[in-house]
Amino acid sequence: MTPGRVAWWRPQLRLRQRVALGFGVLALLLSTVVALSVWSLASHYVNRDHTLTADAESTDNAQLIATEISDGVRPSDGLLDRLHYPPGTAAVLLVRGRSYRNQAAASLDLPPNLVEQVGGARRSSRAVTIDGKPYLEVVSAGRPAGSAYVELRPLDDLRHTLTRTWQLLVFATALATVLGAAFGLFASRRMLRPLAEVTEAASAIAHGDLTARLAARGDPDLDDLARSFNRTAAELEQRVQADARFAGDVSHELRTPLTTMLNSLALLENRRVSLPSDVSEPLDLLSEDLHRFRALVIDLLEIARFDEGVATVEGEPVLVGELVARAADATAGRPVTDVLASASGVVLLADKRRLRLVVVNLVRNAETHGLTCRAVTVSASGDTVRITVDDAGPGVPPERRGRVFDRFARGISPHVGTGLGLAIASRNVRLHGGTISVDDAPAGGARFVVELPVDVRRTSAVSV
Amino acid sequence: MLLVEDDPRVRRALQLALHDEGYAVALAATGREGLAALETSTPDVVLLDLMLPDLDGFDVCRRIRHDSDVPVIMVTARTDSHDVVAGLEAGADDYVTKPLVAKELSARIRALLRRHEPARTPRRVRAGDVEIRVDEGVALRDGAPLALTRTEFRLLAELALTTGVRSREELLERVWGYGYFGDGRLVDVHVRRLRTKVERDPTNPTLVVTARGLGYRLVR
Repeated sequence: MTPGRVAWWRPQLRLRQRVALGFGVLALLLSTVVALSVWSLASHYVNRDHTLTADAESTDNAQLIATEISDGVRPSDGLLDRLHYPPGTAAVLLVRGRSYRNQAAASLDLPPNLVEQVGGARRSSRAVTIDGKPYLEVVSAGRPAGSAYVELRPLDDLRHTLTRTWQLLVFATALATVLGAAFGLFASRRMLRPLAEVTEAASAIAHGDLTARLAARGDPDLDDLARSFNRTAAELEQRVQADARFAGDVSHELRTPLTTMLNSLALLENRRVSLPSDVSEPLDLLSEDLHRFRALVIDLLEIARFDEGVATVEGEPVLVGELVARAADATAGRPVTDVLASASGVVLLADKRRLRLVVVNLVRNAETHGLTCRAVTVSASGDTVRITVDDAGPGVPPERRGRVFDRFARGISPHVGTGLGLAIASRNVRLHGGTISVDDAPAGGARFVVELPVDVRRTSAVSV
Repeated sequence: MLLVEDDPRVRRALQLALHDEGYAVALAATGREGLAALETSTPDVVLLDLMLPDLDGFDVCRRIRHDSDVPVIMVTARTDSHDVVAGLEAGADDYVTKPLVAKELSARIRALLRRHEPARTPRRVRAGDVEIRVDEGVALRDGAPLALTRTEFRLLAELALTTGVRSREELLERVWGYGYFGDGRLVDVHVRRLRTKVERDPTNPTLVVTARGLGYRLVR
């Protein structure tokens, strides 16, 4: 997949992250709208209620003052302290050019122009700030004539309550957003679980397990996907099997004409001395390529058995050190094998023919692609037998190590061998429940490492 | 020798190449032709392709075995197929896989036709109620000869000529001329066949016994 251009405003997110983000943003928007509505309604009603109460009480107080004064009570006699208002309220009475204050007002630094400010108004209320504190100023004027009664009611508590409400709403909004995102993440995980299964099955198929299928979940939306996936997988499996069978069948059919050719060639070679000398070279060419062709057909047949999933292990107890030494030394044409003490006497239940193919192909590979086979070592530790084959070639670069066991993954010298040797070796190792890998040899060159479990169970028809 | 093979070109090429190796090769294209040829002639060895147009190759093998102890080399499709064991059980002495080459085939035939060098004093081994006359090529029970094929007899003789255990590798080498990597199933199936003829109770062998999965031993 080629990554598209990423705009700064649209960072690349995974699907699940996008779903979570979507849910989060939606929750944020919804809860913000709700919070703002709640806030505006609540603050409006609380403020209005407070103002109405203050107005009513203040008017009552002004009425009381007017009645008391007309009854001859003097404002200086603590009249203002006997009124009914919330604690902390500053009450100021302006009458006939003089001003009287209650106790709260006495300690308050009232603006000097308070009288002028309220002089004109008959009745009013507004929010003011005195000494950095919020107050609701309620003015009642004209009773008795020329007088004004001012109450400065503290708004601290109200403001405090509203601030707490505001904080609570912000917190609730944030919480809703986080919960929304979390729900989005959870929902997307549930939603994407079938997708994860598809991914898993698809990757299993990509890794060669063509039998991977999706289970039906009883959900029509998902089952359609499962059905078409399974159909595709089944078709692929059939196709691959048919291809494998085809390769096998072709190689099989090739053996008949090959028999004719090889035996006719043998006849010609037996009469080489009586043939004209200029036929000698074409005869060599024919002979060489015909034998290569034979090896290729035999290797193809061998590998086709694996691809068709019908390769079987004919297990028998085998002295692994002896087998490796015989196979490796015979292939190299000289002694190359070192059976360490740990492996001497170790018996494997293995298919002799297949294990021999592994060793022969690795040694042959070392002799051709790796210049020469330096050493074959057999060792054992615990339940594992380890066979290493070192060569003197340029080694296998790390990026090619994964592909070196593929069919026709040609090494450095093309047209040497059939190109199937390592593929056959690796399949036979896996058929025995072992592993094969390639590394750097300590002395330079490549080191092929085969590890086989000592307890190779008798397996039949293992697909690898 | 007799070559039973349905493909005419393969038949001819093999005949020519085997002739070069010193064999006079009679040809048969079908199983019936092959069986008919065996009635009128007695080849030293039969090369039998299991893929025949008329009869089942295993069936042909069984019928040959019914009338004759001539060595039969079958041509099977694959080494790792059940055909090998089925063919050996039907009475074949050895098998080869295509593409087969006259030279390699000739080595197989020579191994099967190999005889024991006669010793100065005739070697006779008695195991239970069976007497093995190595140099005469016969095994007797109560004075009556047992109907062993040549390969079965050579296997029995190899076991008779040593007092210890013969590993499968040794038997492959001595009877079939294979090296270390010969197919152990050849030995196993032949031992099974041998037991049906020399043991009183083949499922419970007392003469030709298995030695710890490594080889076989003749109990005297």
